[in-house]
Amino acid sequence: MFHVPTVQFTQEQEQFRLDVRTFLQDELAKGTFTPKCDSWLSGDDPEFSKLIGQKGWIGLTWPKKYGGQERSTIDRYILTEEFLAVGAPVAAHWFADRQTGPLLLRYGTEEQREYFLPKIVKGECYFGIGLSEPNSGSDLASVSTRAEKVEGGWIVNGQKIWTSNAHLCHYMVTLVRTSPFDGKSKHAGLSQLIVDLHAEGVTVVPIKFLTGEHHYNEVFFDNVFVPDNMVVGEIGNGWAQGLAELAFERSGPERILSTFPLIDELIQELKRQKNLEGLQQASKIIARLWGLRNLSIGVAQLLESGNGEDVSIPAALVKALGTKFEQSIPEITRLIVQTYPTLNAHRKIDRFMAESILHAPGFTIRGGTSEVLYGVVAKGVVAQ
Amino acid sequence: MSEMKDMILNVVERMLKEKVDKELVDTVEQGHWAPELWDLFKENGMTAVAITEENGGAGGDIEDLLNIVRLTGKYAAPIPFAETTFANYLLEFTSLQVIEDLATYMLYPNQAFTLENGKLTGEAIQIPWARHTKRLVTLAYSTEGTHLVEIDLSQAEIKLGSNLAGEPRDTVKFHHAKVSQVSAVLSPDKIHAITTLNTAFQLALMTGAVDKINDLTVQYTKEREQFGRPIHRFQLVQQHIVHLAGETAIALAAFNNVTEALLKNNQNSEVAYACIRFEEIIQAVTTIAHQVHAAIGTTHEHSLHQFTRRLWSWRDEGASTSYWTNLVATQLLNSGDSLWGYLTSSSASSPLLKVEG
Repeated sequence: MFHVPTVQFTQEQEQFRLDVRTFLQDELAKGTFTPKCDSWLSGDDPEFSKLIGQKGWIGLTWPKKYGGQERSTIDRYILTEEFLAVGAPVAAHWFADRQTGPLLLRYGTEEQREYFLPKIVKGECYFGIGLSEPNSGSDLASVSTRAEKVEGGWIVNGQKIWTSNAHLCHYMVTLVRTSPFDGKSKHAGLSQLIVDLHAEGVTVVPIKFLTGEHHYNEVFFDNVFVPDNMVVGEIGNGWAQGLAELAFERSGPERILSTFPLIDELIQELKRQKNLEGLQQASKIIARLWGLRNLSIGVAQLLESGNGEDVSIPAALVKALGTKFEQSIPEITRLIVQTYPTLNAHRKIDRFMAESILHAPGFTIRGGTSEVLYGVVAKGVVAQ
Repeated sequence: MSEMKDMILNVVERMLKEKVDKELVDTVEQGHWAPELWDLFKENGMTAVAITEENGGAGGDIEDLLNIVRLTGKYAAPIPFAETTFANYLLEFTSLQVIEDLATYMLYPNQAFTLENGKLTGEAIQIPWARHTKRLVTLAYSTEGTHLVEIDLSQAEIKLGSNLAGEPRDTVKFHHAKVSQVSAVLSPDKIHAITTLNTAFQLALMTGAVDKINDLTVQYTKEREQFGRPIHRFQLVQQHIVHLAGETAIALAAFNNVTEALLKNNQNSEVAYACIRFEEIIQAVTTIAHQVHAAIGTTHEHSLHQFTRRLWSWRDEGASTSYWTNLVATQLLNSGDSLWGYLTSSSASSPLLKVEG
């Protein structure tokens, strides 16, 4: 079995946690935001993103010369936990902070870093992630959006789908085929391009979520010109570059805490009722959460030490297990306390229940379905 | 964990790998004793780990000891190692003298012996390894309160019994037997701390067994072929492998977080969470492992049952899970903080390992 380290937070880190918490509680009291379950996908609020940008809380781990704070991965973990635990609206800058920044720091050109990172850090520049296509879901390597070389850049044609918040984003890191599909090495010939979503030929079309809300989109490319300096890393290396991002994407607290506001409210409600028996039942949820959190923080520590290859299996495992846990919360909660889930309910627990039930199906799909993850983990375990 | 610790654990693991096999575990299950294995552990100083040097210990800390116990669980080592070392740990914890002999313990509060004028009376069941050990460390009630006492087992009437795994679990009866050492009256906090430590030792054993069952099962999916290929190639089997890997990873991480918290003496509710979570872990791990091994895993010939039967026994020994769910529920009820505040609280509610002066 792979080894995942234990992490004891330092005093500075404990203090940082409390500082973030105090800030969020103050903003909550001021009415700056309304807590939500699954707020990292559905809580988009550019004003809030700018506010925390001013605090220096976007790009926390990045070099100071690009506006970052050069803090540790564990510090970022703590920060993210605090946002999610209170259900703060962090969706607008989420992918830029979590994925695009680290991608550019690893593979981007100096020009790209200097141009994009300071804007991201301010909470003013948002990125989407363009991976899935109508006929390429779990079988991602089969993407057919293509880029053809022209003088000074590339012409992109094709379509992406399920792109979260593309309608709010300024750019999208887009996985495209730069050489024709080769059945023998299907991971070859893929590249990552930064596409300006306001460029000519780009059309963003909403796909309504089952609640009627607008979170994800289809993005069409019709002869979109992407200049050479918007190629990320090497042409043809897109698959390997994308894989490196995945550990960051898969193992974070957002794979455990999407329904935490509901758990918190469940406990509040049981305390109000002085319901010891209910709390005993709920202690199982807390034990599960604790178990997952140990694993997830351990993976964050592995990411900090920088050996990406050891991380991919445990990271996939965290996502598979964590999302199943998040998904189970409304089902367990409704058997412990009486609720009446509605999205605009006055009672918080009813609202959180509604958000959790309705968003739950997506948890085990987005960012790699559980089935794909199971395959990755099983092969990894057997190969050990 | 330090490199030094890793080295010690490597030595212990090699020792266990060489000396403990299925036949030895079978032999002890049939009522024999494994003197060579015990002597090896003793000669290598393992029984004195985590005892302070001033009391004749070998140095090392609680994390080291619990990890050695974990390894004895991983190999189903048929010796009262956890019992002897925990008995000594308890003696030092309650400011009593540590002992050299093989020892065991009894902490079930509902069957404590009565203590009168330094004499112990009463009967207790399910005492691990009593027939093979010389000393018993046990809770005892006097008119003043609850004590920890240490007593020579040669004065006891012992009836043999065993748990589901065939490990010795004997009934011990004393009638006005002279105790060797008596602690001061134990406060409720102290008794809780003892229960916590006891559960940590149980968790160590169970973590080892879970780890081993995972290894056995993954290995089996590589060796066993059906329909012309190893069974790990089938997606339905892969689903079992992943579920098992997940529970094992969670068990190991939980155990490591428990030992780290005990070592840093800022244990809050880690032991409680781990114990509650292990209920699900054991259920899943034993079910999956047997399903994957299929018929062969249900035979005495195969070694899988030496670990699954131990888990089915160990989970019911020591404090019950309801003790821990009740503790968490009560803490939550009395906590003025939000759940998130409670979960992330950095300071221990009551440092556990303070030795009473």
